Amino acid sequence: MRQLALALLFMASLLAPAQAARLISQVSNDSVEITSSFAGERMNFFGTIVPDAGSAEAITGPFQVVVVVLGPTQNRVARQMTNNFGIWSNTGQVEFKNFPSYFHVLSSGRLNEITDITTLTTNFILPESHTLVVNTDDWWRSAVYGQQLVRLMTEQGLFGVQENGVNFLSDTFYSARLTLPSNAPPGPYIALTYVFKDGAIIARRSEGFAVRKIGFERFLALSSTQQPLLYGLVCVLLALFTGWFGGVLFKR
Amino acid sequence: MQIYLPIAEMSVNLFFLVGIGGAVGFLSGLFGVGGGFLLTPLLIFSGVPVPVAVASVTGQVVAASTSGALAHYRRGAVDLHLAMYLVLSGVLGAFGGVAVFALLRDAGQLDLVISLGFLILLGSVGTLMLVESTRAILKQRKGIVVRERLPNQHNWIHGLPMRVRFKKSRLYISVLPVLVIGLFIGFVGSLLGVGGGFIMVPALVYLLRVPGNVVIGTSLAQVVAMMAATTILHAVQSQSVDILLAFCLMVGGTAGAQFGASAGKYLRGEQLRGLLALLVLAVAIRFGLSLVIAPSDLFSMAVVGGRQ
Repeated sequence: MRQLALALLFMASLLAPAQAARLISQVSNDSVEITSSFAGERMNFFGTIVPDAGSAEAITGPFQVVVVVLGPTQNRVARQMTNNFGIWSNTGQVEFKNFPSYFHVLSSGRLNEITDITTLTTNFILPESHTLVVNTDDWWRSAVYGQQLVRLMTEQGLFGVQENGVNFLSDTFYSARLTLPSNAPPGPYIALTYVFKDGAIIARRSEGFAVRKIGFERFLALSSTQQPLLYGLVCVLLALFTGWFGGVLFKR
Repeated sequence: MQIYLPIAEMSVNLFFLVGIGGAVGFLSGLFGVGGGFLLTPLLIFSGVPVPVAVASVTGQVVAASTSGALAHYRRGAVDLHLAMYLVLSGVLGAFGGVAVFALLRDAGQLDLVISLGFLILLGSVGTLMLVESTRAILKQRKGIVVRERLPNQHNWIHGLPMRVRFKKSRLYISVLPVLVIGLFIGFVGSLLGVGGGFIMVPALVYLLRVPGNVVIGTSLAQVVAMMAATTILHAVQSQSVDILLAFCLMVGGTAGAQFGASAGKYLRGEQLRGLLALLVLAVAIRFGLSLVIAPSDLFSMAVVGGRQ
């Protein structure tokens, strides 16, 4: 209950922006289709900052824009190896529930110059902020493991921060470019765009897009989960046939 | 040329997949092993998620062993009767192996158990085979005629009850050791994601005294049936068999296996065993080193709770 009240208070503070501005934005593709030759996809986010409806007041910059792209969530664990009696093995493990499988931040400047750390953390703009939600007694351990998890995700290209990712083409018109990697997990994605002025959020907007398998890839993925027995049988038959056919083909 | 794997959810170079499939297929045809113990680590190393790699390789092993098994069958080198006993108990063992696999994966200890299992099994099997084959080769160099089987070579295993006659292997032995071998290989094979040919071949040779000309064919026939069952088990339980990944590996594997089987004809039995022993030992050493050398990254991550 207290959390709800806090959340409402937080929402209320957002509803009263410092300046009456509104954001009109668009994503270049509302669905990214994974085909057999899928090797990543380039996406564009663009928009313009306009005065709020009914507000005669002209809006003036300088504005800063931050685009946060979030992938579907998963439960992920981070594990640590230690040396016991000469053998390296996993001994520590921390689970992060509902951890984003993809997270990229594009901004028009250095994040710590755009706003303060509290705003960045409470709006989940920093990668590390996703690891703070775990509620364990051993907070220090989960903080260390969380940081390592972010590093591992970054090495796989699934997490990233590009502090020059947003370009202003005029005072109020911006565009941002993002390349989704080929290992981007399929599912619903959300792009959150924040407009900052003097360190405060003055407008925000969210757009969804989907990364999904289509055609044959979709058919295979669906049948492996919906008809697992049949799928397994087909795999075996395919293997037997390929083995036999290979034998016929290369018989010498 | 990149190809997207729908279950692994990543794109991989097609020629790389066919290439490693072919190289491992060649070895599998040559030695009568499934090749899983080489292919699974190779795939994991190239970034394929561990459960997908293990489950898909079982599918590829079926294909690679099918062409090998058929090639041996045509030469009359398969004891189907013996293989049937091995398969029946092997499938039972596979049920246990797949269940333990899931438990260990959730506990985060799968890598450790796989490394230890490979080290112990491959290390001991490899050493035994190397010693035996070197001795046989040296004896032959000295001109000592080694007969294939000696009448007094029977050991305690041949004295057990419930004897069955295996005509093709010219054996009249108890089924109990046969069933135990099958059960053990079914369990270990599905747990480690390998066909188990590298344990099967020496077990048949040294424990049951199966003659050399039917050992590899029988082992391959057993691998085909058992891995087919394991593939279905993995598909139903972990749903991580990537049919496209498996198919790419199969195409290379079946071609390679044919050339391997042909090349095998130019080598003598003990030479083949010696080479296989070296290969097995090399993999064992690699796994042993991974246990004792400090890893380059102390941290790792995994998705838990299955795929959405």
